[in-house]
Amino acid sequence: MTPFSLAMNVSTVNQSDCPDVTVPFPIFFAIGVVSLAENLLVVVAVIRNRNLHSPMYCFICSLAAFNTIASLTKTCENLMIVLAENGHLQKKGSSETKLDDVIDSLLCMSFVGSIFSFMAIAVDRYITIFHALQYHNIMTMQRAGVILAVIWTTCGVWAVLMVQFFASKFIMICFVAFFFISLAFICFLYAYMFMLARSHAREIAALPSSKGRKFRRQWWRGSMRGALTLTILFGVFVVCWAPFFLHLTIIMVCPLNPYCECYRSLFQLHVVLMMSHALIDPAIYAFRSNELRHTFRKMLLCSEWRQCS
Amino acid sequence: MSAFHNRSQTSARRSDYVWQYEYYDDEEPVSFEGLKAHRYSIVIGFWVGLAVFVIFMFFVLTLLTKTGAPHQENPDSAEKRHRPGSCLVDIDGPQDENDKAFSRPLLSESRSYFHFYINEEDRGQRKLKPEEKTAVKQQESFNRPRGIRSSGMGEMEEDVEEAGRHQPLNGLIEENKAERENDLFSHFNIPNFVNLEQSSNLGEEDLLYEPSVILERQAHSQDTHCDIH
Repeated sequence: MTPFSLAMNVSTVNQSDCPDVTVPFPIFFAIGVVSLAENLLVVVAVIRNRNLHSPMYCFICSLAAFNTIASLTKTCENLMIVLAENGHLQKKGSSETKLDDVIDSLLCMSFVGSIFSFMAIAVDRYITIFHALQYHNIMTMQRAGVILAVIWTTCGVWAVLMVQFFASKFIMICFVAFFFISLAFICFLYAYMFMLARSHAREIAALPSSKGRKFRRQWWRGSMRGALTLTILFGVFVVCWAPFFLHLTIIMVCPLNPYCECYRSLFQLHVVLMMSHALIDPAIYAFRSNELRHTFRKMLLCSEWRQCS
Repeated sequence: MSAFHNRSQTSARRSDYVWQYEYYDDEEPVSFEGLKAHRYSIVIGFWVGLAVFVIFMFFVLTLLTKTGAPHQENPDSAEKRHRPGSCLVDIDGPQDENDKAFSRPLLSESRSYFHFYINEEDRGQRKLKPEEKTAVKQQESFNRPRGIRSSGMGEMEEDVEEAGRHQPLNGLIEENKAERENDLFSHFNIPNFVNLEQSSNLGEEDLLYEPSVILERQAHSQDTHCDIH
């Protein structure tokens, strides 16, 4: 998806009252490198620790893998842009164009894939809560593997199609519609889980006991924490992804409107937001698991895997 | 963008493509004359709307929290409620013969706060009272196999880790740490304390045991032992 390489031609954009906001390359590089390191750490930790070979961690690993690809690709693209602006690369050479296409395909694939991974994680949590008894029968490792294979294949195919036929408005409408549908789906799943967990917790706190008052206070505190967690989860997702998708919508709807152009001038900021979502994701999903944190400590602090007990 | 420039040259011959980025060329500059509102009004409006949405969502969630708070109990209802509580303990009694291996460890952990909310079992037991349902759910939670304990809502794990065991909303998942469970059992003074390791070893076998059978037995024992409301 070539909007990502828009930065290469900033100088050719017409001078207007809304000049393009440029983000310095060091910031792009820093975000890219840090998020690459984080997500690679998550992927390696899930693969190495046998305790983490369960469907939930497989989906988290897939999310981290998509974020890794996104960070790597974006960092490579920034490198290409820097080299091109310094004259080492031709901006319109055939090999650069092909490389640009490959980069755009990978970026598109990783973005679509991370949205699919969010949906898979939400569905997995939903099944864990509402079909806990049959969870092991519903979500076996084989099924999780099949789901991941389907996700990766779909993302690959869609990415290639998107880059080839990006001009078609239909494809872009599909992309934006897909984003909003998955947003609504994830929102609904988490809200449903929250409400059912809340009503169940209410029943628990209403149990007869001398500690009833204490339970109620703790119930309230627990519910507040749950509300805060859900808000962070969902809020970060919306704040990081919505600006870019509004950008795509505006391109389709009002390309010549001056207000719309002022919004489009902030394109690089929106891309930075999307990249920082890859940075924040491990903190929201992966690092909250005690087992993963334990694995990280072992990996980072111990020089050899076998030396640490 | 370079790809677009390239392609727009080659595809100018093919008229079936419509390129949205052509307006970036210098042919049609966007006019900024006569703007009524501020230039960045869409930007400001979008971010204000987004902030309002997130804050609204947070307030709705906290409002759900407050309205869902359990009511204060008056002494009369507290007395009545005590009987189901004692029933939870008495249930251990009559079920020695057939199902020692399965139901006893489950029942002794009936007051554990680490359980799943099981929706479909709920459907099958509409006639049960809320207290019974809670007790049954707590039992059902230990029918789950051991492997599930490391799956579930990750953020709830964090809360469980920090705030300890008395977080009802966060009792959705746990790590199998012996000291925490020992604290839990000592806190609840469960008369028939069964070691958690023993019960969790039975986790796999419990799957074979039909939950509905446990429900029936539960309801039966409740009827014989307790007058509930």
